[in-house]
Amino acid sequence: MKKIAKAALAAVLLVGTSLSAVAVERGGVMTYGRYADSLFLDPVLNDANVDIWILSNLYDTLLLPTDDGKGVQAGLATEWKVSDDGMSVNLTLRDGIQFSDGSPITPADVAWSLKRAANKDNGIWNFLVSSIDDVTTDGDKTVVLKLKHPDPAILAALTVFNTAILPQKVFEAAAGATDADKAKVFAEHPVSSGPFVLQSWDRGSTMKLVRNEHYWGKGEDGKPLPYLDGVTFEVLPDDATRILKLNSGEIDGAEFIPYSRVEELKSAGNLNMELFPSTRVQYVTMNARPQIKGKDNPLSNPKVRQAMNYAVNKDAIIAIVTHGVGKPLTSYMSSATPMHTGDKPLYAYDIEKAKSLMKEAGFEKGFDTSILVLAGNQDEIGIATALQQMWAELGIKLELQQVDNATRTQQYRDGVFTMREAAWTDDIADPNEITSYFVYSPTIDALHTGWKNEEADKLFDASQKEIDATKRAAQYARIQEIYNAEGPIVPLYETPYPVALSKKVHGFLQIPLGNNFFGRAWLDK
Amino acid sequence: MQNIGSGALPLFSFVLRRILQMIPTVVFILVVTFVLVRLLPGDPASAMLGDRAIDADVKRINASLGLDKPIPVQFLYFVKNVFTGDLGTSIALKLPVTTIIMQRLPVTLMLTLMAALLALVLAVPLAFLAALRREQTADAVIRGTFQVGLSMPVFYVGILMLTVFGATLKWFPVGGYGDTFADRLYHLFLPALTLAFSFSAVLMRNLRSSIIGVINAEYVDFARAKGLRPRIIMTRHVLRNALISTVTLFGLQIGTLFGGAVITETVFAVPGAGRLMIDSIYGRDYPVLQGLTIALAVLVSLTFLATDIFQAWLDPRVAR
Repeated sequence: MKKIAKAALAAVLLVGTSLSAVAVERGGVMTYGRYADSLFLDPVLNDANVDIWILSNLYDTLLLPTDDGKGVQAGLATEWKVSDDGMSVNLTLRDGIQFSDGSPITPADVAWSLKRAANKDNGIWNFLVSSIDDVTTDGDKTVVLKLKHPDPAILAALTVFNTAILPQKVFEAAAGATDADKAKVFAEHPVSSGPFVLQSWDRGSTMKLVRNEHYWGKGEDGKPLPYLDGVTFEVLPDDATRILKLNSGEIDGAEFIPYSRVEELKSAGNLNMELFPSTRVQYVTMNARPQIKGKDNPLSNPKVRQAMNYAVNKDAIIAIVTHGVGKPLTSYMSSATPMHTGDKPLYAYDIEKAKSLMKEAGFEKGFDTSILVLAGNQDEIGIATALQQMWAELGIKLELQQVDNATRTQQYRDGVFTMREAAWTDDIADPNEITSYFVYSPTIDALHTGWKNEEADKLFDASQKEIDATKRAAQYARIQEIYNAEGPIVPLYETPYPVALSKKVHGFLQIPLGNNFFGRAWLDK
Repeated sequence: MQNIGSGALPLFSFVLRRILQMIPTVVFILVVTFVLVRLLPGDPASAMLGDRAIDADVKRINASLGLDKPIPVQFLYFVKNVFTGDLGTSIALKLPVTTIIMQRLPVTLMLTLMAALLALVLAVPLAFLAALRREQTADAVIRGTFQVGLSMPVFYVGILMLTVFGATLKWFPVGGYGDTFADRLYHLFLPALTLAFSFSAVLMRNLRSSIIGVINAEYVDFARAKGLRPRIIMTRHVLRNALISTVTLFGLQIGTLFGGAVITETVFAVPGAGRLMIDSIYGRDYPVLQGLTIALAVLVSLTFLATDIFQAWLDPRVAR
């Protein structure tokens, strides 16, 4: 009996393996509809998600994020070891790796790329690798990172777009006097290390990537990745047009499907409506300063903030705005962020508790306040209108101030806003980025709210150097406990990335950090 | 045509005068734009870096763009550069502004031109038909249809066109811009038709009432009495005189057409200057905004000039 079972199992495995090997088809160009065009394809100096989320197709990093976005796996480096004292990282490069022009990827290129990423004068992402003190090479395969202090997030940082490896010689040969000037020239026709190479870019319209013949990755069929001959991005800013184009078969995939259309597309026979897990959180930021522009600010009272939180029916907002696609937040960070804690929705709707907290705070009759809303953004207007009604129950009169993004950012940065809506997505598979902005006061005054908690600040400082994973998780558990109880936000919901794909598309992946991976995507012929 | 001979010299000095008048207009627009964009709340670095930017980064980047200098100093640099043909570098796109404008403005121009032509093709014959069949069924149908065109928002007409002629009938692509010139004309047809829909409504209504006015004029009766053929009466006497006010309207509406192009370009995913303008306002991309404003100011002024010249040709009294 055992023999038969074993034989059956072997047969199943064999069939399974051969099926998956046969199933993958090579060739073809996948056309993907994006809501906006990229701006600048330099991994270090870019500023926006429109660049970040596609960069990994062009530039490879030493390590790659795992599909769930929480761990690391081999990239250009096949082995990595953090020293026992946490003060250095040894990495071994993969054999025979090459840039898209056929030149070898050397430890010198790696050292130069990482130093450029960590340079404080370069871009806004250097904080992710600020622990790097020096990068040295040893022989033709080894790179050693020397750290200023133990950094528990250093391996995760080596998967982030800004640590991508560029060819030093080609970059430095580009015209221009400064690094920024050279980057402008280089990024127009980059020599890259990822699965694809930029072929052409018609700004505002189409960007064409073709396969990098020198890419190291191997497919299920044992042949080099990528499976596709190329990827074409079409810029289709209007949601309805993007969906129409997908439905008519002119494109193979479309990002940012509006929540209101998700159900409809789920039932479309020719499409797969994907909801990729994400780290995106939607929340309202509350200014917690005692005074704003010389006037007393009721939101500085933690009880008022808690009351307003209890008065918000998150389920109703999720139903109205996300059409049920979102789910309530259980911490300020998404459930897809490593070290997230919490299994219950924060501030479950309880109007009586809200009223009693308002009374305790001395605001039984409510007060007048305002919220900044992005003009023309239907989701934000929907949320604000719902909040207006919900908070009216507490006697709070909410004025909606519709402004454009630059105006809002200005008021936010100056700390003179009262409330605003916002969304956040992690760039690194670690809780340190979101915590540094939301909680840790030295970065940006806890979302420019003026909120400060000494214990949380100290815990964050300690967690940045704590290499004992258990201890660090405990630190983050406590930070979340503090912030979720009295922090300056109304956590609303977390949402996945809604991407609609033609049924002939396989293997496309958007990880929780937002990065779109076409390296393993393939099309039915 | 006999009017032209005697009017050639006044026409020439008229054109010269109008060109000279254009210069202060463009300079005025330039100064106003330069100052206004800087008075808007927010700055390029904040807009570019978004909510996460820390103060040090914002200051460093604004300083690298020269935005830490007083506005008059920035203006002097700008004027100096404009006179050397340098409109600066886009803050967001990191490309020379002239390169970006040369890529994007022709797209909008082609779209606007196609829309204007389509509007004329639709409006002129139908205005004649409606005027000649005044208060009859044809008139009612034509006016009713155009009324719908006027009252429907451009983005809605656009989505309707895309759904019917693109996704359903597949006569045209669902948005986008093509690779070759012919392919681009094909891609631009539906957006141009969308723009032309409301534009032709304005033209048709104006032209119809002008024709009705002219048809009953004494000189037309006189032409008829002279025994001229109806076609000659219509083209030489009726159309020519009825067109005067429509040409003015046409010129003025071209500016509006640019405005409509912003929405149409978004719905149809056409990479034109309209979308670029919106992006650069939101992104506080001062150099692109200034460059585009200059280019558009010159273009609109040239359109007005062309309108004036055409009008002066139609009615030589204008040039005097």
